[in-house]
Amino acid sequence: MILHIVQYSAAQDNALATSLRYIQPQDTLLLMGDGINSLLQRKWQATLSDTQVCLLEQDVVARGLQTRLGQYQQLSQAEFVQYTLTHAKVITW
Amino acid sequence: MKKIAIIFRHAPHGSAKGREGLDFALLSATFEQEISLIFADEGVLNLVPQQTPEAIGAKDFLAAFKALPLYDIECVYACHQSLADYQLEESALAIPLEVKTPAEIAELLTQADEVFVY
Amino acid sequence: MSKLIIQVNQPGYGQGSSYQALQFTQAAIDAGHEVLKVFFYQDGVLSTNHLQSPASDEFALYQAWRELGQTHQVPLVNCVSAALRRGVLSAAESAENQLQHWNLEPPFQMGGLGELVTGVEQADRVICF
Repeated sequence: MILHIVQYSAAQDNALATSLRYIQPQDTLLLMGDGINSLLQRKWQATLSDTQVCLLEQDVVARGLQTRLGQYQQLSQAEFVQYTLTHAKVITW
Repeated sequence: MKKIAIIFRHAPHGSAKGREGLDFALLSATFEQEISLIFADEGVLNLVPQQTPEAIGAKDFLAAFKALPLYDIECVYACHQSLADYQLEESALAIPLEVKTPAEIAELLTQADEVFVY
Repeated sequence: MSKLIIQVNQPGYGQGSSYQALQFTQAAIDAGHEVLKVFFYQDGVLSTNHLQSPASDEFALYQAWRELGQTHQVPLVNCVSAALRRGVLSAAESAENQLQHWNLEPPFQMGGLGELVTGVEQADRVICF
């Protein structure tokens, strides 16, 4: 069980597409920073529909996207720290 | 000793990521860690032979990939899908390596203690 | 409680991840975990430039890193070769290179990549930003 972190939007960098190639069903994908912007696009919403996705609450609030991204799990910093330990390792793409 | 997997996902020359990833790989190997290298996505362009980075004012760090056996780095892999995306043939790569499917690479990532992406 | 290594790979200004790393480090310490060190590599070394001068109404990330390091005794270690290439030098490297100026001050310190590797070996988790 791996926590994958993607810090870039799909428009900025290929990190999201590359990581998805190697993510397994039991893994979690944390979209951080501009990484959350990809979820505003239908294409990525569909692609990620079978992946366990979470976001950092502060990133969502900072970008005014609470309503648009309300359906995704949002982590506090403390929960983020816990996630890095409840997963076997962290891979930042 | 830890099992460290290092993924190269960026092309050489456009950034220092590949070079700094390789520095980290070689240094980790000298510190007796068990290192594996994985070339994925645009990172497979590190494997194109006969590059001359000096032509654009860059150091030829790619030459050091040929020295991996000297550092006891023998687990070198490339993603089959990524090679296909960039139309690279396994037989025409700059260094010997093993081609793995994305599912096999996912398994390598699961087995590693730590994974670093450059 | 767990032992963590935090690696910062992006500069302090213009991209958010050095800030994210700071927030994470603070949260990890607040939760009682031990941060063995924060290691600055790649463009992350630019986060440690003492001469960064944000406007007075902007968040001073450099200051925040410094305070975190001092308050919690967390080593803030730069990869020396990545730093030299990007023009971040301590007084010692400045003298070695016959230069008159430097821009790395304590509590930030220079170290080799080996310090990252030994840290990785001791840590329960490595988190890169």
